[in-house]
Amino acid sequence: MLQFAHPAYLWGLFAIALPILVHLFNQRRPRPLSFGAIEFVLRSQRQKARRLRLRQIVLLALRCLLIAAVATALARPSLKPRGVQAAQATGPQATALVLDASLSMRYRVGSRTLFEKARSEALAALDRLGPDEPAAVGLCAGAGGFAGGGMGTPSFDRLAARRALQSAQPTFLSSDLTGCLAAAARALGESPVAGKRIIAFSDLAAHSIRLDAPPPLVPPPANAPPGAQGIRPNVVLVDAARGNDLPNAAVVATAVRPSATLGPRGYEIVATVANSGAQPVSGLQVSLKLGQNTVAKGFVDVPARGTAKKTLGAVLPPGVVSGRVELSRSEAQGLDEDDGQDFVVHVPRDVKALIVDGAPASLRSRDEAFFVEAALGPARTGGRIHAQTLDADAAANASLDGYDVIVMLNVPAPPKAFAEKLRQAVARGAGIFIALGDHVDPDAYNDSLGELLPRPLHLIKTAAEPGAQGEDRAARFGVVEWTHPLFRVFGPAEREGLESARTFRYALLKPEGQAQAHTLASYDDGAPALIEKRLGNGRVLLYTSTASRTWTDWPIRVSFLPVLQQSVSWLADALEQRQPTPAMVGEERTLAAPGGTRVEKVLGPDGQPVQFRRETAHADDAVVPLAMPGPYRALVAPHGVEPREEPTLTFVAGLDPRESDLRRVDEGELKAQLGGAESAQVASTSAAAQGAHGTPLWSGLLLLGALALLGEGALTRR
Amino acid sequence: MRLDPALLARLGPLPVRARKVMEGVLTGLHKSPHHGQSVEFSEHKEYAPGDEIRHIDWRAFAKLDKYYVKRFEMETNLRALLVLDASGSMAYGRGAMTKLQYAAVCAGALAYLLSRQGDQVGLCVVGDGGTSSGVREFLPFASSHAHVQELLRILESAQGRGPTLLPAALDFAAEKAGRRALVIVLSDLFDATEQSLRALKMLRSRRHDVLLLQTHDREELDFPFDDPTRFLSMEDERQIEAQPRQIRESYLNEMRRFLEATRKELARADVEVEQIATDAAPDRVLLKLLARREAA
Repeated sequence: MLQFAHPAYLWGLFAIALPILVHLFNQRRPRPLSFGAIEFVLRSQRQKARRLRLRQIVLLALRCLLIAAVATALARPSLKPRGVQAAQATGPQATALVLDASLSMRYRVGSRTLFEKARSEALAALDRLGPDEPAAVGLCAGAGGFAGGGMGTPSFDRLAARRALQSAQPTFLSSDLTGCLAAAARALGESPVAGKRIIAFSDLAAHSIRLDAPPPLVPPPANAPPGAQGIRPNVVLVDAARGNDLPNAAVVATAVRPSATLGPRGYEIVATVANSGAQPVSGLQVSLKLGQNTVAKGFVDVPARGTAKKTLGAVLPPGVVSGRVELSRSEAQGLDEDDGQDFVVHVPRDVKALIVDGAPASLRSRDEAFFVEAALGPARTGGRIHAQTLDADAAANASLDGYDVIVMLNVPAPPKAFAEKLRQAVARGAGIFIALGDHVDPDAYNDSLGELLPRPLHLIKTAAEPGAQGEDRAARFGVVEWTHPLFRVFGPAEREGLESARTFRYALLKPEGQAQAHTLASYDDGAPALIEKRLGNGRVLLYTSTASRTWTDWPIRVSFLPVLQQSVSWLADALEQRQPTPAMVGEERTLAAPGGTRVEKVLGPDGQPVQFRRETAHADDAVVPLAMPGPYRALVAPHGVEPREEPTLTFVAGLDPRESDLRRVDEGELKAQLGGAESAQVASTSAAAQGAHGTPLWSGLLLLGALALLGEGALTRR
Repeated sequence: MRLDPALLARLGPLPVRARKVMEGVLTGLHKSPHHGQSVEFSEHKEYAPGDEIRHIDWRAFAKLDKYYVKRFEMETNLRALLVLDASGSMAYGRGAMTKLQYAAVCAGALAYLLSRQGDQVGLCVVGDGGTSSGVREFLPFASSHAHVQELLRILESAQGRGPTLLPAALDFAAEKAGRRALVIVLSDLFDATEQSLRALKMLRSRRHDVLLLQTHDREELDFPFDDPTRFLSMEDERQIEAQPRQIRESYLNEMRRFLEATRKELARADVEVEQIATDAAPDRVLLKLLARREAA
């Protein structure tokens, strides 16, 4: 469509009437002359009549063309792509070039990404700006609007604007195009040029546009009278996808969970695959990779505009394991970056436990260790915990080397030698779980174990007799430290299972001395139920009641099993870590250094150090900006010591799944959101990048006029 | 003094202009305008009442004793018929004289010259409205002064109008010329050219001496018009609007072809053609013509 910078000159088109009038005058008012040799005039005219008539018409056309070309050229016409006309105002306009740099702009069509196309068009649009039109450039990425601190005031520094566009790179962030347009409008308000225009280059993905937001408004000038309304800028949205659908399949979520069926350290990795295309995808290959090795493969069918889950199983090595779920990549087109997702799982090591049964019984259900063995059995732990049961005498003579955890169940006060071996085991890092019972004499225990006990035993309290009247007076768990690893497995809905356990008898502890004991759970009367103490490299956990049904009914409740499993793992320092909280690219992640250490370095997914900041309140921690997807590793060390990798701080930054949804916004709704078709248009062709000015035609028109002049002269001279 | 048409036009009536031209011609020929009659004896005839007494041959009376009258024959018994085209196209001329006026002056001068030397002169004015087809007025051969005056009067009163009827007029002239005569045709020969040429050649074939004074206006020869013009026919209702500048080249080519073709065609038939423009001095034209004929 044609547009004119100075349409007033189009009045000059009326000058076309002059040659027409002259032509008509010549045609209608010839001078009469009686002529003797009219025969020769007739013959000449007959010969040339057709040619002359044609020549006259051509002459008239050339003269009209000359005038029209000059008048139109003075009006500075340009050719705009279809659909841009309404958004184009006349005269110079301050222009904000908004380049969408979000993840979805990495979408590849052939060998070029949408971002590369958009950047080329933005550069072309910049070149086409008039010399009297200031410009500003902004990269739209991230929740905050523009990446790199926002958009500056429009200026005439074309070189800087060009450099900014040329150096622009797509990010892995999501974008808020609506926010960017609003920010661009605000930036335009700082330009004194009356015309305001925003040209945004984007894939027009629906997720980046908020249709319920108010349209962008340029704020009124500072010297405007109070109550002045903002100006609605012309908005041209250049569709980098050129109106095409952008089918895409992506891994949008990954969950890792232990799998009992796969044996020890068997895990299920559940990948959620989304398909934003209008056509279903069938037979999409999903691979599970550990390092460079593909350990599992599968295929999944994903409905159109839907998701599907694919579960892949693998036995993982102990420790911190980084893996990746990947989709087979489409060669033709697609967003490659979301075809895979990394995950990190902390695979606990195997635990060897010694159960010291202080009250063995021939009837298994009466055995003190019955419930504990059941809880730690391979069927319950996936074989991760290898438990061996000995009676007290055998245990006293056995070597404790090689055991990670010693579980003492209703064991009479151990002899001094056994107590010493226990003390040595704890010192080297082993853990001891002590449950009481009828065989426990508090004083003898205090004497025998001494400092191994978190707190000395005082006496045995009977809250109620089981099975007797007044059973409801039994103690219940009152205060529980739910955030502790032992209880983290309990969600709010599951806590009832623990809180409802009744304890009829339990040991009261003496007041805390110098030892640093930590009560993890207590009864409703305030007496400690589970109390722990760190000793050397190991820990001791004291349960003040029985691990059998003698004093409590907790062992028969479902809450007993996870607490005991967690306790054994925690004491062995092999607690199954909760998967790191998912982080998302564009966010910041605070890495809390373990006690006594400091986060010295953070390595990004590409293995390169990542710049991070520290907060004053926690000077040893690191606040890491997440710019790329993938695993991040932290190196920590005490002050002055060579840093070492801290596996527990390893985490994965994922992509915003919304960026994988490339469904496009409805053009009509988008225009409506931007203020209607009068001020907003969506250009659907690549040439729409020229919407800033269109293709200038005036030079061509002048050339046409010159040719018309030459032609007219040539015809006139003949 | 050169008698250019502008000066000639100011000299008043045709007889004066014709006489001036004649004198100019004679001056150019360096001969006395009064050279006398030239006659020779032809036969004797017995006297009868009414014969001229001064023609009685007294020597024969002395010998034969009878009155015999001498019969004389003119030395040059030339009879010249002036055929003046008075069609509409001959009335064209925006200068000093129209073609018709110019041709009339030439015809008058020739009549003077011819009668002066005793030749008989006749006149045929070609045009419509006469008693015969193509002949508006006809004056038989004679050489008397009164005859010449009558001829000049007719010439002066001739008006250019109507179509060209030259072929019919030439047929009429051939009939009236009788025995061998000099036929001088003054015409632009524009219309009905083929028939006119055929008629001229027919005259020549009857052993008449035919001279064509093809008269044109300078504007007809040069076509010097620039402005858009509606050209109107002077002989009928035809008209045409044209841009003269656009057709000039074509017109001039057509005119050149016409003149050339006429000249060649008539030359092949031994018809003498003198193509003259009305801006040329008539005495010079006639002088040149007479000199050429004298040389022949």
